[in-house]
Amino acid sequence: MNGFIAFTKKELCESLRTYKLIILGIVFLLLGIMSPLTAKLMPELIGSFLPEGMTMSIAEPTAMDSWMQFFKNVPQIGLVVTVILFSAMISGELSRGTLVNVLTKGLCRSSVILAKFLAALLTFTAAYVLCFAACLGYTVLYWHDPVSLLPLAVFALWAFGILLIASLLLGGVLFRSGYGALLFTGGFTVCLFLLNFFPQVQKFSPLRLAADNVSLLSGELAASDFAIPFVICGLLLIVFLWAAVSLFNRKQI
Amino acid sequence: MNDYIEYLPFLIPLIILEIALALTALVHVLRHPHYRFGNRVLWVLVVMFIQILGPVVYFAFGRGEE
Repeated sequence: MNGFIAFTKKELCESLRTYKLIILGIVFLLLGIMSPLTAKLMPELIGSFLPEGMTMSIAEPTAMDSWMQFFKNVPQIGLVVTVILFSAMISGELSRGTLVNVLTKGLCRSSVILAKFLAALLTFTAAYVLCFAACLGYTVLYWHDPVSLLPLAVFALWAFGILLIASLLLGGVLFRSGYGALLFTGGFTVCLFLLNFFPQVQKFSPLRLAADNVSLLSGELAASDFAIPFVICGLLLIVFLWAAVSLFNRKQI
Repeated sequence: MNDYIEYLPFLIPLIILEIALALTALVHVLRHPHYRFGNRVLWVLVVMFIQILGPVVYFAFGRGEE
């Protein structure tokens, strides 16, 4: 357990010194500010693209529009940046050979994987909270209409991000390279998107946690529709971590 | 002009953050002359002119081992 805590600390220190923490924080904060801004600017943007003399009535933006932008930007840019930054989590350490020392000194192999997961989880959570706080702040400042079920929608997107981080770890252990881990996570996401073409699968797919948040806010979906995707997401998370740990135990370093 | 003032609470932090991101990367590019690929000129251009993604790509792929 001591080794686990020490390694987690080392990981956090590393993400600070390699600028990962700062970059992720800034990018997520930018997204959090940009989302309400885009929502506010949207009518003017559309207006300026319309040809001269043509008028179109555009509804005033609401808090809902701001959250729509949030749930579009964070999965499209935020999660992609997270995945890219964390892609070298395992491979960097393997190629530099820095794990050999700590492992021969008696650090448990599963601790390595789990500590890396915990450190990435903490970093991502911090950035995500920052992004959410910025977006919430501006939205509350400019619009006063309440949005229901917001905490659940935000939590769902967070859970999907954690699932992606776990898949990166498994990819890193499988392929030993940063690009391999990226490909694995990319492939996993593409598979989810392809499976989503089947309406029966949509009800179960964890992709719903990142793609249907707006439907949840607008009331098209109920909170109970997210129950099964949450369970599947949790199961996949456990499977990924377990597979990563057991593969890593057998891996030659 | 009034239009812009309305958006200042958004724009000021946005601009500060973008500049901070670009500067962090620029300082790193200039102080660490070893890159995994590309050269200094390329990376300076990338981090200065590609917003948000430029610095991210540099820190993820471009920076060399120390």
